[in-house]
Amino acid sequence: MRVNWRHLAIVLAVLPFIVLFVAWIGFFNVGASSGHWKITEWFLHFAMRSAVRTYALQVEVPHELPRHAIQTAAGHFARGCAICHGAPGEPRSPAALRMLPQPPELAQKIGEWNDAELFRIVKHGIRFTGMPAWPTQARDDEVWAMVAFLRALPPMEGEVYRQLAYGAGGTPSLRAVTIDQAVVECARCHGNDGAGRSSTIPVLAGQSEAYILESLLAFADERRPSGIMALASIAVDNQHFPELARRYAAMKSVGPPRPAPDPSLLEYGRAIATKGIVAANVPACVGCHEKPDRNPHYPNIAGQPSAYIKAQLELFRTGTRGGTRYSHLMAKVAKGLTDHDIEALANYFATLPASTATARR
Amino acid sequence: MDPAGEEAHQVLQLSVVLFCGAAAIWLGVVAALLYTARRRRKSLSEQSASRFILFGGAVLPSVTLAALLSYSLWLMPGLRPFGQAASAVLHVEVTGKQYWWHVVYRRSNGPVVVSANEIRLPVGQRVELTLASSDVIHSFWIPALGGKMDMIPGRTNRLSLLANKAGTFRGPCAEFCGTSHALMAFAVVTMEAQAFQEWLGTQARPSPRAADDGAALFLRHGCGACHAVAGIDARGTIGPDLSHLGSRLTLGAGSLPNTADAIARFITEPERIKPGVQMPSFAMLPQDDIRNIAAWLKDLE
Repeated sequence: MRVNWRHLAIVLAVLPFIVLFVAWIGFFNVGASSGHWKITEWFLHFAMRSAVRTYALQVEVPHELPRHAIQTAAGHFARGCAICHGAPGEPRSPAALRMLPQPPELAQKIGEWNDAELFRIVKHGIRFTGMPAWPTQARDDEVWAMVAFLRALPPMEGEVYRQLAYGAGGTPSLRAVTIDQAVVECARCHGNDGAGRSSTIPVLAGQSEAYILESLLAFADERRPSGIMALASIAVDNQHFPELARRYAAMKSVGPPRPAPDPSLLEYGRAIATKGIVAANVPACVGCHEKPDRNPHYPNIAGQPSAYIKAQLELFRTGTRGGTRYSHLMAKVAKGLTDHDIEALANYFATLPASTATARR
Repeated sequence: MDPAGEEAHQVLQLSVVLFCGAAAIWLGVVAALLYTARRRRKSLSEQSASRFILFGGAVLPSVTLAALLSYSLWLMPGLRPFGQAASAVLHVEVTGKQYWWHVVYRRSNGPVVVSANEIRLPVGQRVELTLASSDVIHSFWIPALGGKMDMIPGRTNRLSLLANKAGTFRGPCAEFCGTSHALMAFAVVTMEAQAFQEWLGTQARPSPRAADDGAALFLRHGCGACHAVAGIDARGTIGPDLSHLGSRLTLGAGSLPNTADAIARFITEPERIKPGVQMPSFAMLPQDDIRNIAAWLKDLE
């Protein structure tokens, strides 16, 4: 019998049904115990590497990785990543070792990827593996912080890692059920004194109680996008939120004013803060913030780290910040700010002594 | 058609003269047409035909148009009397913004008065208006008092007006300026000179109710970052000055009647009242606070 076009067409038409039928029988083994065939494994790995490489082409790499944010990323790594990938001085969980594909120990693997590829993997995750996407797609700054941490990972000693990820508070529990566990969880990054353990973390000591509480709620239901705070706030039982807010608000802010940069920049920052930029519809910051008798949903900014202020203003400007029920006010204000304005404001408020007067509820 | 000012009167006069002139010319043309179509024609001699064409076709139109042109040009310096500007005792600066009017009164003797969305002028006294814009092109027009003039960003235009009748009028923005262009208007009140001076005097002082309870709420929620209220620590210049909001005739640049309820509504949902407005919604404030702030603002007279 000669094979002609008609036979081919019939086979093509029937093929999908055969595939469906085979799948329905359940002949194909989806168990992870037996592993992939060598060829399947090679093909999947090849396709994954190629896709990461290609999609990484559109990633814009910053001039310098945000090394100042490594502590913040380490704190998140301990909660979100270490369970599968292990960490310096901490082996991978035995459960993770039985995953298919097995999540790699990162210290050996990081060198195989460039920064853009790492960014791509951390932000979007990898399909058909256990690698999840970053909890929000709106925080590239957090993803870059994680890339900076990953770059610092290979030579890192266990002791250094524990200091970064846990601070003085000890190892965190999987889920913070009691208030003491919740405090440990927060203190890993925010410190026992509420001063914040890196410059991307706000000073919570002496912050307005209502603002802290509203922000925690906003993080937990993702009105304020942050992959790092989303995990942390969900890990803590939300019945503890009011108590946590009360404790941090009651702490005395001790942070010394940070060293003053360029005085002309500070002067410009002060001008915006006290007078606004009328032509760009930017009101004076002090119209809402820093007054002792203000609405308690308006946070203290004096004495916050400049990197934190800068990141928040940039997020407000792109409209992705979210937060309390008042956050749309800042989204409107930040639209009129240029990069230079933001730089000046961040530096100005960072050098102000933290206001001692706490807003009344 | 019911002018209340010198310039509007001139505009009306010019319209009437031009209309009558146009009517006369039209009648002449129709008469000439009928003449050519008359039943019994007796042809003109070549000389008189040439003369008819010369006078009827060239001299007469030139003389008529020249007369009308000189008449309208003669009116123009009256609309833009730069020479008289120095003699005006009162200068009013009006800046068009999306979608409201910032108004500043400057007198040679007396303090500066800042207001918004309402312009008061004395009867029988020439006033020089300085017109500017801070964003897009607007056009300033008080039909009852004079012609319109554009407000162009980066430029200052001058308009001189002389009101000669007391009354209340409306002034619209006469150049499309964005989504709420149709909701950008202002009230114009012309007053007898004595009453005007008294009014300006009260405007120069803070409202007697400025320090009432509402002020603390107003400041607490940060309203003072954008709005100024004389007498309290609210100095914002991004939004309209609210020092004497209660005594204004309209709210939101002519978009609502000025009542405490309407003020509360504006605080709650400005975007629904005026699409594209700069003011963000304050619906998240406690309802009592909104009501108290609105009542206090209405009391600022």
